[in-house]
Amino acid sequence: MTPAVSQVLADLAGRVARNAAPNIPPADRAGELGLSALLLGLAAEMWDGAAEILVQENADLRQLLAAGATIWGEESRRRWLEALAQGRDESLRLSALQAANGELKVALIALHAELERRKDSAAKALEAEVWRALVAGAGRRRLSGSPI
Amino acid sequence: MEEAELVQRLGAYAAAQMPGAQDVAVTEIARITGGASRQTYRFTLVWTEGGEARRRGLILRRDPADSLIDTERRVEFEAYRAFHGGEVPVPEMLWLEEGDAALGSPFFVAEEIAGFQAGTGPLWTAPYLDSLPALGRRKWTILGQIARADPVALGLAAVLPATRAEDVWRRELDHWEGVLDADETEPLPVIRAAIRWLRANPPPPAQKVAVVHGDYRTGNFLYDTQGGIHGVLDWEMCHLGDPLEDLGWSFNPVWYFGQGKPGGLLAREEAIAAWEAASGLTAAPDALKWWELFACVKGQAIWVSSAKTWQDGANRDPILVYPAWALINAQDRAALTVMGHL
Repeated sequence: MTPAVSQVLADLAGRVARNAAPNIPPADRAGELGLSALLLGLAAEMWDGAAEILVQENADLRQLLAAGATIWGEESRRRWLEALAQGRDESLRLSALQAANGELKVALIALHAELERRKDSAAKALEAEVWRALVAGAGRRRLSGSPI
Repeated sequence: MEEAELVQRLGAYAAAQMPGAQDVAVTEIARITGGASRQTYRFTLVWTEGGEARRRGLILRRDPADSLIDTERRVEFEAYRAFHGGEVPVPEMLWLEEGDAALGSPFFVAEEIAGFQAGTGPLWTAPYLDSLPALGRRKWTILGQIARADPVALGLAAVLPATRAEDVWRRELDHWEGVLDADETEPLPVIRAAIRWLRANPPPPAQKVAVVHGDYRTGNFLYDTQGGIHGVLDWEMCHLGDPLEDLGWSFNPVWYFGQGKPGGLLAREEAIAAWEAASGLTAAPDALKWWELFACVKGQAIWVSSAKTWQDGANRDPILVYPAWALINAQDRAALTVMGHL
């Protein structure tokens, strides 16, 4: 959710207030308010489930990284994955959850590339798990008006 | 710039371009909302010439402070001009201004093709429903005609950067991966996996180096209720490349508009058949798959750039938030679909 919902809502509040002025050309007002309404609708849909989606996704990612740490031979990489896998979401603020999600995804991208490179069955099994998690994550974030 | 000042300065500019005209003035100006890479206005130019009062509906496309897509407006202008008068319908270009002096930022002026729809909003309702298959066939026939066109004969080879058939995929992928590297505001595991796949499985050399529209999709052309297309718009990403790039972009699932088929218009097989018939080229499945997945990478790069532009505060137009919120996850789902995971 970038830009952050809270930032966008603050900006939209200013726009709605400006468009209440009587001297705004009708076509400009219609355009701005129409777009603002569209974004408010998206924000309403995303807002309620946002924390749950991030908490769930972060938990899934930590599990994958923990599994990755057991099969990645390089010591520094293994320690990196282990450290991230042992993390917890102490704060439920969206900004904190989002920051943790970003760190975990950076590690997931590195792990995914390593798994693709390897041919052993353990790596291939975990790669399949990574794909399942990515599909599940995209499903959780799907909006009702999504084109796909 | 306030509207009154824009009207005054645009009128003065037009008068300078029309030495035989008197009493040149801009009237009925209105902003057309929705453009994130250019500000677009509709207006009527009135003037007197040879003692006769005249008027013409025109379009002004002006660069905003921070565009969603960084492009040269000359590329867009020359692409329109190259195709005007041929089988690919485009509006006539009148004036291009690349400096800031006249209106504060670069712009061009074109004829208005009035009386047709451009937005996708009404497309899946009456009276358009019955003509959707015909519109789809026309859409991919025109795309085939663009692919068939000779960039040298059109004069576009002198304007657009040259490339070689075996290099086009790498050049495009390098460019859009670079945009992602620079602009992503959060890591994108699906799209990074797609890029790794694209690099590991390069497509064959392009069948020809063709004019690529760059954003050929439902919503970027003017249509009627009979399945006719009267103007192909939004050429700002036009370049020379593999004609399959445009076909792949037109098949990007984010352009299905929830209708379950390409462009929300036509079955994939029918669209390919129309494109092959008009282009004289072949859409080999493996090569087309590469370009469809590439379209997902390019799309994601554009959506994350939109988020970054808004986030940085350079341009707080709400239109920049829409693709970031509505399309980034949809584009991930599209990539997962093309890769066979969804």
